Amino acid sequence: MSLSRTILLAFFIGTLSTAATAAGDKGRGLEKSKVCQACHGEDGNLAVDDQTPILAGQYADYLIHALKDYRSGERVNAVMNGFAGDLSDQDIEDLAAWYSSQKGLATPSLSE
Amino acid sequence: MTKRILSVFFIVMLSQAVFAQNEGDPERGRIIAYTCFGCHGVPHQKNVYPTYSVPKLGGQTEGYLISSLQAYQRGDRKHPTMHAQANTLTDQDIRDIASYFVTVHKGDES
Repeated sequence: MSLSRTILLAFFIGTLSTAATAAGDKGRGLEKSKVCQACHGEDGNLAVDDQTPILAGQYADYLIHALKDYRSGERVNAVMNGFAGDLSDQDIEDLAAWYSSQKGLATPSLSE
Repeated sequence: MTKRILSVFFIVMLSQAVFAQNEGDPERGRIIAYTCFGCHGVPHQKNVYPTYSVPKLGGQTEGYLISSLQAYQRGDRKHPTMHAQANTLTDQDIRDIASYFVTVHKGDES
């Protein structure tokens, strides 16, 4: 194999693996969200009580950050530490893709 | 009799004071929240390290916003900027700010 072909192949594999880790699948996220739905609802617009956040429309990368902090115990919450503890990186990305794609939370604007 | 009326009056006043303290004032909250807009009012604003989008707050639940600010105050949620910001707030400020963000539904939906 020539050098340029090797470089191209390495580049292709590199791109592929970045794509695979960067993007969650919202369809799989919906499937995996069954256990979340009791408190957050199917689309993330339910809050079972006032301490429960709305997830719908929240940024995916923020949701990923929050779930990973719950998983590691960096962020302490008795309920969420338990649920997030069982999730893989892929699960977290899929769930974030699902809830972030729903219509809900908004960015406040000073002009209002 | 006068004494009884007076004591009833006193109790009513007291309960109103307690009630007033527990209620957030969204109008006052909107003014105090001015500082928050520097990050939370900019769509897709990024936290520097670790890198992730600053969360949307418009339409969030009031109790969650209050507990989050309290957790940043105590240092239970670790974020240097939010810790510093939350430390400038009184309990009443926190209730007012939270009651304001609950009312926000419009804005950038992207």
